Amino acid sequence: MGQADAFETDFWKHANLRKVWDDIVAGEPRQTIPYTLTREAIALYCRAVGEDHPVYFDEAYAKTTRFGGLIAPPSIHILLMFACTPADDWMRSPGTVNAGQSWSYNIPARPGDVITLQARALDKFIKRERLFVVHDNVFFNQHGEVICCGRGWTIRPQ
Amino acid sequence: MTTTFESLAAGDTIDGPKFAVSRESIRLFCDASLDYNPLHLDDDYMKGNFGKTNFGGIIMHGMNNFGLISRMITDWAYPAGAIHRRLETRWLKPVRPGDTIQPSGIVKSKQATVSSRWVLIDVVVRNQNDEKVATGEAMVEFPQT
Repeated sequence: MGQADAFETDFWKHANLRKVWDDIVAGEPRQTIPYTLTREAIALYCRAVGEDHPVYFDEAYAKTTRFGGLIAPPSIHILLMFACTPADDWMRSPGTVNAGQSWSYNIPARPGDVITLQARALDKFIKRERLFVVHDNVFFNQHGEVICCGRGWTIRPQ
Repeated sequence: MTTTFESLAAGDTIDGPKFAVSRESIRLFCDASLDYNPLHLDDDYMKGNFGKTNFGGIIMHGMNNFGLISRMITDWAYPAGAIHRRLETRWLKPVRPGDTIQPSGIVKSKQATVSSRWVLIDVVVRNQNDEKVATGEAMVEFPQT
């Protein structure tokens, strides 16, 4: 896997550098890294969820649509979230459980886009003894346009 | 028949794709999403307790549900000239290798605003035992043409 080669796939490796629930400050921005989205990364994501619409693969077809060219599926933010997150970020703490997410879509991401993420912990709370952190995320393209934004509710392992 | 904003009514249903979950499908989702959390890879780790939860074995990424619901919504919206604008989800039960899951939707309401038109859809993902594993709500825009 080309992109996995350049990506730390052992989520234990930097575990000791990551913030636990007590250290996370609600409202504090998270460090993020820009990511160039490729056709190959889009194709791999599409394969994983069975996306087969030609607007993601067939450039000649895509040019005839309202989008005017190839796009990524809206849910590509699932990849962008980890692609834009440094290895020492608490999003990668082993045992982080995703309890739910909500996302709003503005314009599609496209192959070749250089994507940036503005993100923060928005809230932290305890419910039924579980340690929750809400993360808040906005993805932009290289033109400064909002692609999508969303929130996730995570249960922290510690 | 092509879906149009005018023809849609509360109670209309949308069928999503069946998806067979396996260790391989979960591993592929790791590579595609770069989410290598041991929840999805490490059976020994998953035998333990953490975060007040014990799953007993590896589980599918919750966001795999999200991706399947999103696929259902876009495949329904594109032929109608409509745009997937929002999806909110909650996970109710873990999904494991060997399960087969399927999203579906029911039109809840539709509404016009100053410059556009919107359809709200209740979505659910069920497993092979007809248990709900995820629920949520989607919003699709039908632009004025």
